[in-house]
Amino acid sequence: MVTIEDALTEQPLDPGEREKLERTWQPCPGFRGWLTSVDHKSVGKRYVATAFLFFLLGGLEASAIRLQLARPENRLLDPDQYNQIFTMHGTTMMFLFGVPVVLASATYLIPLMVGTRNISYPRLNAFGYWVYLIGGLFLYSGFILNTGPDSGWFSYVPLAGPEYSPGKRMDVWAQTVTFTEIAAIIAGIELIVTILKQRAPGMSLHRMPLYVWAILVTSFVVLFAMPSVALASQMLAFDRLVGTHFFNPAEGGDPFLWQHLFWFFGHPEVYIMFLPAAGFASEIIPVFARRKMFGHTAVVLALVATGFISFGLWVHHMFATGLPQLSQSFFTAASLMIAIPSGVQVFCWIATLWAGRPRFDTPLLFVLGFIALFVLGGITGVMVGSVPFDQQVHDTYFVVAHLHYVQVGAFVFPLFAAFYFWFPKVTGRMLSERAGKWNFWLFFLGVNITFFPMHFLGMMGMTRRIYTYLPETGWGDLNLLATAGAMLIAASVVVFLGNIAWSLRRGGLAGENPWDAHTLEWATSSPPPPYNFTHLPVVEGLYPVWERSAERPVVTGLSAERREILVTTVLDAEPDSRHENPGPSIWPLLSALPVGVTFIGGIFTPWAFVIGPALMLPALIGWGWPQAIPPDDRSIEEVAA
Amino acid sequence: MSEVRRVHDVSGVPTHAFSHHNLVWWGTVGFIVVEGFTLFLMMASYLYLRLNELDWPPGDTRLPELLIPTINTLLLLVTIVPMAKASHAAHHSDRLAVARWLWLATALSAVSSVLRVFELRGLNVRWDSNAYGSAAWGLLILHTTLLVVDLFETGAFAVLFQLGHAQRKHFPDVSDAADYQYYLSVIYVPIYLILFWGPRLL
Repeated sequence: MVTIEDALTEQPLDPGEREKLERTWQPCPGFRGWLTSVDHKSVGKRYVATAFLFFLLGGLEASAIRLQLARPENRLLDPDQYNQIFTMHGTTMMFLFGVPVVLASATYLIPLMVGTRNISYPRLNAFGYWVYLIGGLFLYSGFILNTGPDSGWFSYVPLAGPEYSPGKRMDVWAQTVTFTEIAAIIAGIELIVTILKQRAPGMSLHRMPLYVWAILVTSFVVLFAMPSVALASQMLAFDRLVGTHFFNPAEGGDPFLWQHLFWFFGHPEVYIMFLPAAGFASEIIPVFARRKMFGHTAVVLALVATGFISFGLWVHHMFATGLPQLSQSFFTAASLMIAIPSGVQVFCWIATLWAGRPRFDTPLLFVLGFIALFVLGGITGVMVGSVPFDQQVHDTYFVVAHLHYVQVGAFVFPLFAAFYFWFPKVTGRMLSERAGKWNFWLFFLGVNITFFPMHFLGMMGMTRRIYTYLPETGWGDLNLLATAGAMLIAASVVVFLGNIAWSLRRGGLAGENPWDAHTLEWATSSPPPPYNFTHLPVVEGLYPVWERSAERPVVTGLSAERREILVTTVLDAEPDSRHENPGPSIWPLLSALPVGVTFIGGIFTPWAFVIGPALMLPALIGWGWPQAIPPDDRSIEEVAA
Repeated sequence: MSEVRRVHDVSGVPTHAFSHHNLVWWGTVGFIVVEGFTLFLMMASYLYLRLNELDWPPGDTRLPELLIPTINTLLLLVTIVPMAKASHAAHHSDRLAVARWLWLATALSAVSSVLRVFELRGLNVRWDSNAYGSAAWGLLILHTTLLVVDLFETGAFAVLFQLGHAQRKHFPDVSDAADYQYYLSVIYVPIYLILFWGPRLL
């Protein structure tokens, strides 16, 4: 069997340089290394793998939903199980898969793509992962113990409140959401700082790759969207735990406060998933069209505009609540307006492909599937953006069809594309193209056969979240068709998993740049070494790998004896300062555990909000404890002496 | 094998930098934005719930006390002074001066945290009495959590600098901690106005 050799192609200026870097950046060995790793690549891989595990669980729940609805008056699941399963499906896909996988893949890719050695706050990054993992395990522990949430993924009060949802089910939901939001906010901050302050010299803003732009905008959206739901979920938890009345109308509270706070997060969340997906497409299309991106600046402006407009749409989820007409008109206009920047991107992608010489490998196929489905999902989005139409199809399967076209089409398809595209970089091996094409076609057909009939079911009056229906409704045939489609999707995912398992051992060796791509991650070995680049690259154009001369322009003078990273200026990426990046540490894990104690304990007793932080204190002291002092970092007296 | 060409030699680039030259400053700003926006949303929620009532505070709920919150708001603003002095001393790498000003700031923050107990009592409503009480407690507790975290951070830095364990990289950290303290003090002004003047004026 062929083994992966580190295909290091750079000739270092100082022959001992690479050995020093290896020594400085090496992770702890074995299991300890697993617990203490702060390398953005190992944390990122783990993050992506965990998110995909939740994707599979969410998929199994979707299969259960489809089997239950395959025929009228089915008794496969009882109403209570059905409520838990559709809530788990939505919660898993949105909170444990969608947002985390976006941020996880960015955690892996962004430092490589901007040409730095690690993410800005590597320990915080590891901490974020552990908090997310605890949240996910908590939700599924609850589900296994028949305490799975059952009020839908947006948990409307009063249904989710203490009166109509006694027991702990909705507490489990509320705290899971809190865990995932903490993790997302952390990732958002560190990605912004990595992008703004750690770009390789020369990568001024106008030379920044489109995916990096997409992640920058997404991270800002995260910063302003996530606090809203984290606050709301804590209000819900306190309403249920200590008898506050935020959402209780009998005591002056207001259920609409929940809806506003939830959708102020919930709608931007769609763009938290879509923008990085669009970023994937904008990276992949030029590589396979074998030409530069058409309308780079227009795409950047579209990404930024989408980020802003995404905060002006949330009320269109509430059109059926009797809003003032002026507000309905405003939010309709905003909802339709977002079609403009989206359209700009679609036309730029098409123009790039049109003017290029497309190579139809699996990543491009998934991107093409994405464009087709995104346009369809976007059109139904414009339809439901209009109040009269929305009133007709509100809470029906039409909305289910729309949101799945958008989420699966405009998010999961580009994600698969990205997986096929970057798998060689991450593992050093290619995925099988043949299996990839099976994967794509089964998925494309499956998604359309599953979700297209739902438009009709919705217009025929089938409401969301009903666990069964009578034969007289006439919904049976289309539901059976949708279930058959779901089975195709399942088959496609099995092919995907098989492809990964096979390719990890026997896939062809990737080499440094198997696709002839243009961004900086393709200028280092596959998989990249722990320090990413032997010499930090210098960027001289928008397509650094395509445009570079025979000699790679590099940075010198960065210490290889310590984990030094180069901090650059925001606009022009000129060298600004040098910063020491921390090494492996157990404290992120030990600090995440008290967060678990706080929020999990918090569903049983308010004292957890005292005990958890008290346990957190020693962990934070350990985290902040001064490290071994490097030579030029001694205390001021020692320097004087 | 491809050869490499030196373009930038960064060995002369500083290893310790203040403000926006320093990565940690950016993280501090990030958390200020997130926490500040969370507080803003909590204030908005308080005002949103106000719309549901004819009277504010509703029914026979008593008005909140004014004296201690006013004193505490001023105290929080005064705390800016020693933190600014500590930051100034940090810029001049004056370890003992940093420690001295940090101790004063810690002491003032500790007094603020104790006064906060009386502020909560002085709301004259329980969190579970009505939505007004829930919103008032929610807003005040949220700020208190940040206040206590900041108290521990300032205290930890004071110890670090007093005992001489501080490294050069900690000087910029003090400056960042000062920025955080400014935010925490300034954002309390609208919270104070909403919580304690709001029921009198709205």
